[in-house]
Amino acid sequence: MASLLRPSLLRQGPAVAAPSSRFLSTVTRQTALRPGALAASWQKPTTTTQRVAAFHATQRQQILPPLPQKIQGTANDPVPVPAPEYVHGSYHWTFERLVATGLIPLTIAPFAAGSLNPLTDSILCALLVIHSHTGFESCIIDYFPKNRVPKTRAAAMWALRIATVTLGVALYSFETNDVGITEAVSRLWHA
Amino acid sequence: MASQRVFQVGLRRAGVPMFSRMQPAGRIAQRRFAATQHVEESEGQEILRKQRLQRPVSPHLSIYRPQITWYGSALNRVTGIMLSGSLYLFGIAYLAAPAMGWHLETPSMVAAVAAWPVFAKVGAKVALAFPFFYHSLNGLRHLSWDLGLGFKNTTVMRTGWAVVATSVVAGLYYTFLG
Repeated sequence: MASLLRPSLLRQGPAVAAPSSRFLSTVTRQTALRPGALAASWQKPTTTTQRVAAFHATQRQQILPPLPQKIQGTANDPVPVPAPEYVHGSYHWTFERLVATGLIPLTIAPFAAGSLNPLTDSILCALLVIHSHTGFESCIIDYFPKNRVPKTRAAAMWALRIATVTLGVALYSFETNDVGITEAVSRLWHA
Repeated sequence: MASQRVFQVGLRRAGVPMFSRMQPAGRIAQRRFAATQHVEESEGQEILRKQRLQRPVSPHLSIYRPQITWYGSALNRVTGIMLSGSLYLFGIAYLAAPAMGWHLETPSMVAAVAAWPVFAKVGAKVALAFPFFYHSLNGLRHLSWDLGLGFKNTTVMRTGWAVVATSVVAGLYYTFLG
């Protein structure tokens, strides 16, 4: 009985399998419009074109379209596990948190005192530079994956490094020649 | 082979209810010609490669319901980029100022801003104050998560809205009164 209902079960892999045509009990409108739709189901299709039903029924709207990618290896390769590197891992994470935590009192103080003295202001500048740099770095890592856009990634990283160094020099110049950023913001705010 | 298929189709037609049996088979049924053919190992790998290139990528932003959890997270990044971006632009402009003939010393900037119309001042203050307070207060939320606090879903939503409300209030206060 099984062999009668499912003859393909017992058919042991011929070199070229014959195309099978199957019934599906869903009512469709498209089939009625297609020429030759009324042909008997056991007839072989005249062309060898494979008809593949759409897997996704919903429309795909992509806000972030996928970046180009190259497939390396086969589908069955294990995911490469990088060697543990604490400097890029937990130490980096802890350092980022220390910087962010250090920004809390330095952000509140100018609101309480009006502005900061040059030394505290310089520390605020340094922490802001580091915090901004790590923040932009995370954005680059997220949006320019190394295995998809390696050149864009490298270019963005170098642009960020150059911009951060420029910002450091600029803030040093501003701190030594001008009034300091908290005082400057305060004066601009009340201008 | 053909005789077996005739038998199968006959069985299926006998199985369907009366009202649909009146229609010709081709009209009610979707036919799928699922052809199978033997391919070489290398050719199969090539098909797999092509399929993998078509895979959708994360994040699939358009399918998620807008919620304070991920909207707040995205806003945190956007406000951070706005604030740090302004700082970077100012720093680069400050270094370039002598060469370009700009005056970015505090007294001249204050004089320039003082000459702005009121709506420009208010606009600039809103554009800076809201991102500043949102990013600062949401940063406290992030640091509390790093300590393992406030991870319950309802807590995350409540603190998320609290940060939005507080930053709106603080932003309005410092725009108009502070």
